[in-house]
Amino acid sequence: MMTNSANFHPSLQLLTEFSQGSLSVGMSVALSAHIELCRACREKSNGLESEAAKSWMQVSEKPKAPDFTSMISAIVEQPQTTELAPAANSNDNLVNKMHMLNHSVILPHVLARAASQGLVWKKLAGGINQAQVVLDNKTQCEFIYMTPGSQVPVHRHEGSEVTLVLDGSFSDELGHYKASDFMVRTKHNQHTPTSEEGCLCFSVLDSPLTFTKGLARLMNPFIQYKFRKAMAQRA
Amino acid sequence: MIRAGDYHVVYDMHALTPRLNSFNVGPLVIKGSSCEPVNQTKSIVKTDPNSDEFLLIAVGNTQDTSAFNQLFTRFSKKIFAMGMKLTRNEQVAHDLVQEAMLTVWQKAPLYDLDRGTAQSWIFTLTRNRCFDMLRKQKRQPSTVSADDIWPVEGDGDAVFVNEERGSLEVEIAQIERFYADLPEAQQAVVKQIFVLDRTHEEAAKALQIPLGTLKSRLRLGVGKLRQLIGTK
Repeated sequence: MMTNSANFHPSLQLLTEFSQGSLSVGMSVALSAHIELCRACREKSNGLESEAAKSWMQVSEKPKAPDFTSMISAIVEQPQTTELAPAANSNDNLVNKMHMLNHSVILPHVLARAASQGLVWKKLAGGINQAQVVLDNKTQCEFIYMTPGSQVPVHRHEGSEVTLVLDGSFSDELGHYKASDFMVRTKHNQHTPTSEEGCLCFSVLDSPLTFTKGLARLMNPFIQYKFRKAMAQRA
Repeated sequence: MIRAGDYHVVYDMHALTPRLNSFNVGPLVIKGSSCEPVNQTKSIVKTDPNSDEFLLIAVGNTQDTSAFNQLFTRFSKKIFAMGMKLTRNEQVAHDLVQEAMLTVWQKAPLYDLDRGTAQSWIFTLTRNRCFDMLRKQKRQPSTVSADDIWPVEGDGDAVFVNEERGSLEVEIAQIERFYADLPEAQQAVVKQIFVLDRTHEEAAKALQIPLGTLKSRLRLGVGKLRQLIGTK
């Protein structure tokens, strides 16, 4: 598999939440794909998983937790699995390559799975092509192909946007990004991505900010309305 | 090149690589039965029959229900707590205990010490079941599952072995190294079948393990060797 050394990585916080399973499906998919491409984050993530397991075992049990022992007898009557990969046959029609004009890109496993539902590419302004994948009802996920010489119009996001570069490269005001780079942009980062050589990305637009304290909570319905409207416009 | 003391490997379609016809098992010592994971670095597991690992391996090897009972006692409430934390729904958390412990029972034959501590193994398995249940609860699409997001065989590093393909000797030496790296239980099974050329039934009898366990170990062991050799 391709193991390029990435220059931009997910934060420790994000990797921790990923290993605990508390991120949305869309965000988890982006993390999983980056981890497959980035050895350093893979090792970090394995370490965080063991740490999460350790602290899990230290959580004090609630004294009023129900007694589950009545489940045991039914469980042990079930046959045990001897196959290593029970889902192996469903891998058959996995789309693990994306064909570009003059080459093809091998997708990380989880994106291959996501792409297997069938992609419908739409042409947007500025030489941008976009194919949405529906992964959950919290995020908007899409493959983005920027043709050589393309430029995305200036924009900003209500929530945060994660971009994982799969092939080629692009630049914005803050840097130059190559395959396996993982970036997070918040609503404060107004940016103008451009690509000279062309670029294939996977991007996740997360839910809008929601306030959890005080009077600011009154803002939430308004922000969510704006987010939905923004999503409808993009679609 | 076959030297005195070498075992012959009788090779069929399912074997490791068609060009391999001798297999020097000289330095390989098969210690104990497959029920005992005996690795020097992991000797704690061997000496403590109450360790999670020992219990989990007993569940996988011999469908040991009393070992499963002990694991159940240790983990069910932890699983419930994780379910409550991630789903905030008592019914879902309750179902998670059922699903996760069932998965522990079903997948126990696939566990070996190379996969880390039993605690980590059960944690990731619970997290994955919880992730999938939460998705279902929220009526989200089933495009990707937790097992796609956290694939078990994500061992991409092993593929680099492909790059240093060389002479037959090199390959045999490599296979011996890979073989030596297999968990004891899988080594024992691979030796029975590929070195001693026994049938599955004979091998299961010799190792005193159920036939199903033998087959799953063989699949795991050969699968891992193939993956390492790069013929997969």
